[in-house]
Amino acid sequence: MSTIELPSTPTWTGAEHDWAVETHGLTKSFGGNVAVDGVDLLVPRGCAFGYLGPNGAGKTTLIRVLLGLTGADSGTMALLGYPVPRHRDRALARVGAIVDEPRFHGHLTGRQNLRILAAAREPAARDRIGPALERVGMLHRADDRVAKYSMGMRQRLGVAACLLGDPQLLILDEPMNGLDPAGMQDMRDMILGLVAEGRTVVLSSHLLDEVERTCDAVAIVDRGRVIRQGTIAQLLAGSAFTVEIECSDPERAAACLSTTADGATCTVGPSGLEVVLPTGTGRDVVAEINRVLVEGGISVYRLQHVQASLESWFLEVTSRLDEAT
Amino acid sequence: MTTISLTEPSAPDLPPDDGRAPDHRGSWLPTGGMIATRFLELRRRRGLMIALLAVNIGIPVVLLTIRLVSHAVAPRSYGPAGGYDVFTTLVAGIMYVFGFIVAATVGCTAGSVDLTEGMFRHLVITGRSRLALYLARIPAGLAIVLPIVVLGFTIVCTVCVLAAPAQLDYDGLSVPAGLSRAGLEQWAGGHADEVVCNFNYRGDIALNVPCGNGPGGAIGKVGPPGTTQAAATPAQIRAFAVRMADQDYADYHSHFLSPPLPLMVDTGLWICLEATIGFVVGLGLASLMGQRTVPVVLLVILELILTPIFSQHVVAHLVNVQRGIVGLAMAHIEPAGLPLPFAGGGGPNDLLLPESRTVAVIVIVGWLVVWTALGAWRMVTRDA
Repeated sequence: MSTIELPSTPTWTGAEHDWAVETHGLTKSFGGNVAVDGVDLLVPRGCAFGYLGPNGAGKTTLIRVLLGLTGADSGTMALLGYPVPRHRDRALARVGAIVDEPRFHGHLTGRQNLRILAAAREPAARDRIGPALERVGMLHRADDRVAKYSMGMRQRLGVAACLLGDPQLLILDEPMNGLDPAGMQDMRDMILGLVAEGRTVVLSSHLLDEVERTCDAVAIVDRGRVIRQGTIAQLLAGSAFTVEIECSDPERAAACLSTTADGATCTVGPSGLEVVLPTGTGRDVVAEINRVLVEGGISVYRLQHVQASLESWFLEVTSRLDEAT
Repeated sequence: MTTISLTEPSAPDLPPDDGRAPDHRGSWLPTGGMIATRFLELRRRRGLMIALLAVNIGIPVVLLTIRLVSHAVAPRSYGPAGGYDVFTTLVAGIMYVFGFIVAATVGCTAGSVDLTEGMFRHLVITGRSRLALYLARIPAGLAIVLPIVVLGFTIVCTVCVLAAPAQLDYDGLSVPAGLSRAGLEQWAGGHADEVVCNFNYRGDIALNVPCGNGPGGAIGKVGPPGTTQAAATPAQIRAFAVRMADQDYADYHSHFLSPPLPLMVDTGLWICLEATIGFVVGLGLASLMGQRTVPVVLLVILELILTPIFSQHVVAHLVNVQRGIVGLAMAHIEPAGLPLPFAGGGGPNDLLLPESRTVAVIVIVGWLVVWTALGAWRMVTRDA
């Protein structure tokens, strides 16, 4: 059990019913294993929202609970303002989702599989089959049997299935799995396009880089609990300040900075000196470091503030959790 | 510890409708589109369809074709392809038993493939009632199974009627088929010696008739032992032949060459009911177990092993359990005039465990309802 105190409430504000997804104290256990542990999650409408966590963190289980694929042990939840499971049918009428690897009847064509799914939705869904296939770039293979599809093609077909209901909310679980670089770029563009149309996309992934490129806001989940949520800029604002220095004498520069810069951690590597300063350090410190080194007789060739990535921030947060436990 | 301070969601306040027409997707009733697409999904399973066609149409057609060709080539050695006997053998021996197994296989497929092939999750996410998703499979599956059963049965009936022999081999005599009682009596009068010597007769024969197979002069049918009688006159023999024909008419009637229309209709409904039971039970069992192979094996064991054993052998402590077997109940509502695949059939050699027709009907309805309920319950409660 973690003892570290982390702010978990979202940092943005919104009016009532502006949440595409809203959960409070959601818990789901499998035997003694708590897969979802009191999750409070607020996903604003009309954005791309990343649900980030390492393998086994409980991402897919939370999605399954939200979609009614399995029941929750406790807690409340609402999709698009509809409490579920009480109004599950009304909520899911406007939701499209891929959970885990999308699988279909292999002996049927992609179009026939979509016909089965469209029949379970409203009558207008059947008319959306063609446009959905076109949108995911599968129209030319729509009449081939799914057994002949690659993993990436099945992934695209899964997204097409999501679009049949003209959804306001899309929940995509690891949608980049099996896609080649071009396919990932297409998927990224499509997600951004869906958001531009006013839809909400929840992207569950362990690929931090993809989430950083695609999403406006994220929630970080670890061991079934949401440990942080907010916009990416807000989350990164709380990360450490790193400066890379290329100079004539890195060893002496490190010794010099360790005595003068309070709280700095200096590491000498093959590419030079890396100085990590505490969270909240301002940009002026870069100039101060330069002054200290020059006054110490060290020639400075390059001095660069390194923007923290979501990945490094994520590793930083989860390592702190590990230390705390 | 996380520090959370959020208000509970205001559950009763629903957002305004977005203008879409309500599609009643929470209803337990499946739509026509759902049934049609389930039908499509099953019909496209090539292996399953081949098995279904082979058992219900292929095997009867092959057997009938072989008989037709054999009879055409060597009519003295091979009997006609059609007729009552061929009809009862094909229907009770093949279509009934294997039709059940194939229908059960279709049911097991319909009940499990969404789960095993990963489509169940997609379907649940649509928000459609899980009960409706389950119930859509029943009409879809039966729309595949029953027409094929009916088509196979119609082919059998057609051949058995059109290729029926013109003469009936009855008690060793070649007798015209389809005679009325008066017609049989008239024919017997014209073939009195043969009838008296060959037809069965219950009672004493008070005649001395030369049948050509007795010692020295050929006494075939005689009166009681120790009596001495003069040779019967032709008139006496003819009168006795008519009496024998009258006594044997009921037995002769049951051996009509062409199966009677009422029998064909009743039998068709009976094997359709058997196929329906196979499908519904297979669907429910597969949905309950979440797989196809084991339910199919269990139903084959039920049909080919347990039902024959428990139909004919009374186990004192299990009598009521035996009566609950659907195959036994089906045997009790079998149309009269058919030989049962597992003995019985209402004849003198009937070995069927006794059960009233009412109980049989209750057992059949019970199997249909209980397995449907179990399958639907599992579908509704299963994690997707």
